[in-house]
Amino acid sequence: MKSIMDLRNDLDNNKTTHTDLFNEAILKAHKYQDEFNSFVTIMDNMYYTKSDTLIDGIPYALKDNFSTKGILTTASSNILKDYIPVYDATVYKKLKDAGAVLVGKTVLDELAMGGTGTTGHTGSVKNPWDPSRQIGGSSSGSAASVALGIVPFSIGSDTGDSIRKPAAFGGVVGFKPTYGRISRYGLFAFASSLDHVGVFARNVKDTAIVTDIIKGKDERDMTSLPDENINYVDNLDNDIKGKKLFYIKEVVDLNLYKDAGEETISVLNKFYETVEKCKKLGFEVDEVSVDEKLLKAIYPSYMTISCAEATSNNSNLTGIIFGPRGEGKNINEIMFDARTKGFSELIKRRFIQGSYILQRENQERLFKNAQRLRRIIVDKMNEFYEKYDAMILPASGGIAPKFDSEIDRMSDRYLILENHMAIANFGGFPSITIPNGMVNNMPIGLNITGACFKDSLTLNIANKIEEELGYKNLIKEEYDV
Amino acid sequence: MVTKDDLKVYAAKLMFDMDDEGYDRTLKEFETIEKHMEIIGKFDGIENVEPCVFPYVIYHADYREDIANNTLTNEEVLKNAHDTKANQIKVPKVVE
Repeated sequence: MKSIMDLRNDLDNNKTTHTDLFNEAILKAHKYQDEFNSFVTIMDNMYYTKSDTLIDGIPYALKDNFSTKGILTTASSNILKDYIPVYDATVYKKLKDAGAVLVGKTVLDELAMGGTGTTGHTGSVKNPWDPSRQIGGSSSGSAASVALGIVPFSIGSDTGDSIRKPAAFGGVVGFKPTYGRISRYGLFAFASSLDHVGVFARNVKDTAIVTDIIKGKDERDMTSLPDENINYVDNLDNDIKGKKLFYIKEVVDLNLYKDAGEETISVLNKFYETVEKCKKLGFEVDEVSVDEKLLKAIYPSYMTISCAEATSNNSNLTGIIFGPRGEGKNINEIMFDARTKGFSELIKRRFIQGSYILQRENQERLFKNAQRLRRIIVDKMNEFYEKYDAMILPASGGIAPKFDSEIDRMSDRYLILENHMAIANFGGFPSITIPNGMVNNMPIGLNITGACFKDSLTLNIANKIEEELGYKNLIKEEYDV
Repeated sequence: MVTKDDLKVYAAKLMFDMDDEGYDRTLKEFETIEKHMEIIGKFDGIENVEPCVFPYVIYHADYREDIANNTLTNEEVLKNAHDTKANQIKVPKVVE
């Protein structure tokens, strides 16, 4: 499957039809399903409404935590294993109206609460570049379906780095715009103050094309931003000479990783090579310093806020109005049984963490302090954005981990390097991961995070860097040829 | 220090249970969680910072007219319910 723009040309020149493209995608989806497990549902029938947009007739995949009327939507959890929504998410409706053709609903970490792609109720998603490795999560199947070349783009959600991390591990582009830029109506909430909708694609331009179509004010999402009347695609090639980038020393300083493995050193070296390329392009790039203690607080603050919000958001999963009905003599016992049977152990552990945080005696010490740290971090970033246009950092400290990996990404060494992308969720900043080359035959990613509401500039910067790096359309099957 | 009994109380408050091994694993996980949580409390003067509950300040909010719209039909609401009767979701008697 080609990129959106190449497919557009083929469609416009009658070299293919939307039916051919749908059939090709479905065939490929089935072909790769057993080995890689990208999908919860692969569509049997094509639903197509003709339109005059750039994505008219283009196939795509949608994460299985977006409501799709009449189409199974499970959030990869047993508690929703038979749930058929009765309404459409705004994103899905906009894509339908724009003529895009749904190929399937993709596997996620259960209820989007995880970063490994191993916790969905239908099994683990495998990395297209090496099936013994994870693709990351939680938008695992959405990343894999693009990386496998099944679809040219897909939709995901991102609460901590759930689009941008799997994009890095899969060698594709993953973008979440400013909080509220894309409506969350119909997205199953995980942590409402951090949840974003975003796009996977093979290159920045395709990402911008899709974002242009799905962004915008939505009366059904009171947090959606007013329309800004900027077309992102039209501004991708703007001159970036003199634009200012920064990176945080305490995240990427090689001295901090002296005894780290060869892989981490290679990732960091690649990053510094990219810094030099950015300078050559005309960017000014500065190293800035942030209190390491503050950076180490990102992950715990993220877990505190997200687990607490998740316990509340998922209290509607009772098995009464929808979902498998539990057994019991009264309504409380029925709900208790449904939730006991419906959630996996991992989700229960996250909920227990949320419950612990929300205990009266812990609220001030944990929940409120995490929210205070969030403010300190966001304020610090906004100070930088007064002077700079975007932050660049490696999307991860390594390549996609093996399923049996023993590296503890939560250890002191990796606590910052593996978790810094949650900064963009704290502040709602537009943030994009683009491929930054290969280490040990696996893709790695560069993350670019701009200031709030500067989505167009962030994509413009990413597009220019992508051109210079030359890893556009990094698809496994084509890379091997 | 959190105990296994504490964990059972936290789980029960959210209306679910786990097997014993699950609680053991959760307890083990809490060693790391509590270590991470300690980081959160270690900032001087943090009590003077206003908690941040939203990514940015909203200066402008639209309110829609108070007119019912986007409603679901009775049939749609009941579609995913396990047990229904007389256009309502059926559950055991609340008053026994």
